[in-house]
Amino acid sequence: MGGSGSRLSKELLAEYQDLTFLTKQEILLQFAFLCPHSPPCWHQSTDPPWRWHCDLLPQVCGPHPANPFKERICRVFSTSPTRDSLSFEDFLDLLSVFSDTATPDIKSHYAFRIFDFDDDGTLNREDLSRLVNCLTGEGEDTRLSVSEMKQLVDNILEESDIDRDGTINLSEFQHVISRSPDFASSFKIVL
Amino acid sequence: MEESPSWEAWDSSGGWPAPRGARGGPSLSSILNGLPSAATLRYRGPGVLPWGALEEEEDGGSSTQTLIEAAQKELQEPHSSRELPWPMQARRAHRQRHARDQVAYGSGSRAARWAQLLQRSKEKTKEGLRTLQPWGWTLKKIGGQFGAGTESYFSLLRFLLLLNVLASVLTACMMLLPTWLEGAPPGPPGLGSSEPCGSYNPYQQGLVPFPTQLFNLFSGEGYLEWSPLFYGFYPARPRLAVTYLCSVFAGGLISLLLILRRSVSGLKQTLLAESGALTSYSHRVFSAWDFGLCGDVHVRLRQRIILYELQVELEEATVRRQAAVRTLGQHVRVWLVRVLVNLLVVALLGAAFYGIYWATGYTVELQGTSLVQQTPLLQLVVNYLPSIFISGVNFVLPPVFTLIAPLEGYTRSRQIVFILLRTVFLRLASLVVLLFSLWNQITCGGDAEAEECQTCGYNYEELPCWETRVGQEMYKLLLFDLLTSLAVMLLIQFPRKLLCGLCPGALGRLAGTQEFQVPDEVLGLIYSQTVVWVGSFFCPLLPLLNTAKFLLLFYLKKLTLFSICSPASRTFRASTVNFFFPLVLLLGLAVSAVPVLYSIFLIPPSKPCGPFRGQPSIWAQIPESISSLPQTTQNFLFFLGTQAFAVPLLLISSILMAYTVALANSYGRLVSELKRQIETEAQNKVFLAQRAVALSSTNGAL
Repeated sequence: MGGSGSRLSKELLAEYQDLTFLTKQEILLQFAFLCPHSPPCWHQSTDPPWRWHCDLLPQVCGPHPANPFKERICRVFSTSPTRDSLSFEDFLDLLSVFSDTATPDIKSHYAFRIFDFDDDGTLNREDLSRLVNCLTGEGEDTRLSVSEMKQLVDNILEESDIDRDGTINLSEFQHVISRSPDFASSFKIVL
Repeated sequence: MEESPSWEAWDSSGGWPAPRGARGGPSLSSILNGLPSAATLRYRGPGVLPWGALEEEEDGGSSTQTLIEAAQKELQEPHSSRELPWPMQARRAHRQRHARDQVAYGSGSRAARWAQLLQRSKEKTKEGLRTLQPWGWTLKKIGGQFGAGTESYFSLLRFLLLLNVLASVLTACMMLLPTWLEGAPPGPPGLGSSEPCGSYNPYQQGLVPFPTQLFNLFSGEGYLEWSPLFYGFYPARPRLAVTYLCSVFAGGLISLLLILRRSVSGLKQTLLAESGALTSYSHRVFSAWDFGLCGDVHVRLRQRIILYELQVELEEATVRRQAAVRTLGQHVRVWLVRVLVNLLVVALLGAAFYGIYWATGYTVELQGTSLVQQTPLLQLVVNYLPSIFISGVNFVLPPVFTLIAPLEGYTRSRQIVFILLRTVFLRLASLVVLLFSLWNQITCGGDAEAEECQTCGYNYEELPCWETRVGQEMYKLLLFDLLTSLAVMLLIQFPRKLLCGLCPGALGRLAGTQEFQVPDEVLGLIYSQTVVWVGSFFCPLLPLLNTAKFLLLFYLKKLTLFSICSPASRTFRASTVNFFFPLVLLLGLAVSAVPVLYSIFLIPPSKPCGPFRGQPSIWAQIPESISSLPQTTQNFLFFLGTQAFAVPLLLISSILMAYTVALANSYGRLVSELKRQIETEAQNKVFLAQRAVALSSTNGAL
């Protein structure tokens, strides 16, 4: 690999098709977008593999930092020790989970991970409050009031927390999501 | 939410307590984090740090060992590699190991290999079919920018286009082809026929001026009246009669099956969601964010919408709580207001329907006056009077419904349901009223002994070929609908965008932001499709015209959407669109079946025109043709129509339905029982973990 035309080998392309939910065109599109020049950015055998820092990644829709979940998404999909950069394969993982054809199971698994702000494996009140704040905006005038937030989190726990331990674990989350008909269409990134 | 007293020791947030007390022995959180379920949850594959790894440094190697063991056990079931929630390199390793294991097991895996090949070919065909669907890319782009509700509108439009294409193909094969196979069809009988009901001349006498010819194109008269466009043209050949009828039934059946197939998936999702009230908050929060949103403006807009909706939902909860404690006096007042509002709605609807009925009757009178007969333009307007009335009513009344709905004191979501129901009723019923007034004209009010209907069984004087007349009305409705869409777009939406872009400040922004009103547009689509279903018996080429119309409409709406509209301020959920609107489409199909079936079975066909002339009823052709089939087929077909077949079928269907309902009830009870068990088990687990902590700390202290 090196200076001469960076192109994905056929075996690698077939492997990516097998391991992700993306189609050949989508993989090639991302490859052309991210690795247009010489660095062997896809080759994982280099140690450490080539990574992009999260802030530099175009976040799949242009250099707009406005997406409130950008940091969480980056942290969830990153395999680097410091959890702040994505390699090409991590990026493919991201797109695969957010694609049209991914199973609802894997989407809900990753959604749980993204919403779990403190990475402890459950959604507690703190996680839910931070989630709602991300949804409504971080500004002072865009937050819910304290009483509204408490009421909302109480209601959510009332509806979803089956074992009544004050947190939502993965199975409870997947159970609630499986009955939400809009989840699959909202957990999607279209390129 | 009740909490058992043993949990008071936890902090007020109710989660796991902060990890790692500085004592000997493990803390509660580390015990709970070491449970097998937590371990498999955090496992991310060989060679990758598990979730939350940075906090696990103290436990070190032992916990990773338990992680790996627990994960191996869970992997006994065959997963396809891509469905594992692991990073790419872990999946790659898993796939290689899986392939090696398969090779090692040799022949035993041949069945597995066949299954894998079958699975892969199924996936490939599904993907191939998906790429065959037109405008897939456009729909995705619309969904990304304007939301799933708008995307569902265009998806519905594409589906209706498919229905119309199929119907046109059916028409071409079963009506047009047989017409010309046995020689060119004859011309109209003309005025000089000797039979009492047999004279009919659609062509106008003498030299016809050009404007009249042009307007004839819009009203379906003149040279269009005796053309393959309308029923009257088709000659009276028995085989053509049979295929004509069969194509209508086949078209209806295909439409029904395709709509059912489309609505079943939406229905499954909505039924699975139980009643929306049970999990509305969770759904709102977990499915609220559209991860495909790009751009600062859209993100902020979506955040504002979510905030607004959450606040409205919380407010509604307080309103509901207030409503529950209303005094008797307040209850009476609220219900009085509701009764008044409903009376107002009924009065408005009644006035609208009477207007349509009157317009259809008055058209004939107006056409008799000399002024109208001299000006072709006035003639055209008079011809279109029923369509104008229907469109006007459909334009004016729904905003009125939206205005008076808040008076009823229902919650906002229920208000929307009521508005939708009233609009649906308005649209479908106005069509029904038009057909009713036509029926009134044709059959002299159902009175077969009335003076005009006595000789021929229908009102021969005014409507010598009544099927063509009905076809013309449907044709005019279709054209006028297209004209109104064009007019609204060109004369209202584009100028508003242009002018109000120049207006200063808040007024400009308020008047200039137009949104794509999904429910109104979808109901318009369903209305046009119902018109086509009614009309396709009387005007066989109507599906073809409708295909062209919908094609044009797709591109027009797309243009409007991208150049004028901003993303909706109320997210109209895709699930509602996918469940509610196919039901309304089915309702439209049912409503359209009634006039067609009534005409086939009960109204005598016209004598001078059509493939059924001379028969006592349109259906009478079928038993005649059946009698030419072999005896066993005849017996079988006649048996299908007897009571000995229908009653047992009804009984068996009722038994199946009752069984399914009982099964669903028992499953519901099982689910609540299991939920209670889960709660108890969680309490057991916490109790045991606390005991373990207590025991190990006393051991450590000794």
